[in-house]
Amino acid sequence: MTPRDFSERDIHMTLDGELPGDERVAYDAWLDANPEMKVRSARYVADRAALRAAFAGVLDEPVPARLQKIVFGEAPVKTAALRSRWWLAAAAAAMLAIGGVGGYVAGIDRLGLEDPAEDQLAEQAIAAHVIYAAEKRHAVEVPASDKDHLQTWLSNRVGLKLVAPDLAAEGFQLVGGRLLPAGESKAAMLLYEDDKGERISLFVTAESAEKAKGTYGSEENGPEAVYWLDKGYGCAVVGSLPRAQLTAVAKSAYSQLLAGLAG
Amino acid sequence: MDEKKAAILGEIPRLRRYARSLLRDRDSADDLVQDCLERALVRLDNWQTGESPRRWLFTIMHHLFIDQMRKVNRRGEVAMLPLEAGEAQAAPAEQVENIASREIIDALQAISPDRRAALVMVAIEGFSYAEAANILGVPAGTLMSRIARGREELRRLLDDTARRRAIRIVEK
Repeated sequence: MTPRDFSERDIHMTLDGELPGDERVAYDAWLDANPEMKVRSARYVADRAALRAAFAGVLDEPVPARLQKIVFGEAPVKTAALRSRWWLAAAAAAMLAIGGVGGYVAGIDRLGLEDPAEDQLAEQAIAAHVIYAAEKRHAVEVPASDKDHLQTWLSNRVGLKLVAPDLAAEGFQLVGGRLLPAGESKAAMLLYEDDKGERISLFVTAESAEKAKGTYGSEENGPEAVYWLDKGYGCAVVGSLPRAQLTAVAKSAYSQLLAGLAG
Repeated sequence: MDEKKAAILGEIPRLRRYARSLLRDRDSADDLVQDCLERALVRLDNWQTGESPRRWLFTIMHHLFIDQMRKVNRRGEVAMLPLEAGEAQAAPAEQVENIASREIIDALQAISPDRRAALVMVAIEGFSYAEAANILGVPAGTLMSRIARGREELRRLLDDTARRRAIRIVEK
């Protein structure tokens, strides 16, 4: 087996008992060689211990009689109107938390409930990439040779002023693009290729209400998405490039897209 | 008493712990467990023989939690909260918490419910990624990214709290 590169993802997997046993020795060596990651790992271990300690006492509390009675069928069935309102407390707690940390999570949404928009965008972009980047003859609907038409068409359909970024400096040439469904709206997919045939895609949708950015990979060794969500649009760059290279390409693409949107 | 009911009774302490980590407030958490048990008893026939009672009950409770959170979010019922928020603000009854525990419980409440559930499921309740993904009804990749983001967010919140505490000490 060839030794693989480890990343922060493996810190979580190890902590959660999900790292395959035969990778443990190589992982420990990697951790020893990366002091920053070692500190991170130790911190997560400590936070987990604190979390477990904070809730450990609950298991020793006597079970309230009202809960036991339900199982024995002794409690009267409540009507819908009288149903417990625990969720109000949950909502209130979330509001307080948002106020309490000085707006740190204010970017999420009213209740701090994660709208899975980020994951959805990344997953849709990765799914589209997996299907179309593998196509030889039918990868795109409109080829790069018809770039002006491609940009006008996708801009009109998606509802954003789309300018296909020039990624020549990063070694990628536009192959073309296509229109795709994205939830209840539409997305534009732009496909690029380098001289070795390695492909990356840009996935752009209108209508995103939240601000976020990050990277997302759904499968081990599968393509990764670098995405941004902002008021009015979402953008993901997908490819199987090394993380640093993908991030660099994505940054260039994103700044050009932004300039195009504004222009 | 039949076996199924005995198995459900045995899971109540773990359900209470999970609910407490989701909601913090003790009475609200027990209300959630109560809703979960009521629904479980109505659906007792849906429980397949051989299926772990823990997984079955956690799935029911998680759906109750997330559905309700989404509904509240969508209907914008936040507007009526100030009237009721007093209850939630009250310190957890009869709960002895040291400062470290209180800080981490506060921080956990501040991260988004989806990430909180994913993190708690694995880090406190000890479910495997496959089990947790199944209970939460999300792909394994989504679960992993929620856990990673949840841990990172928790860490930053705890650091912020520590920093504010340090500032308060300096100001004294």
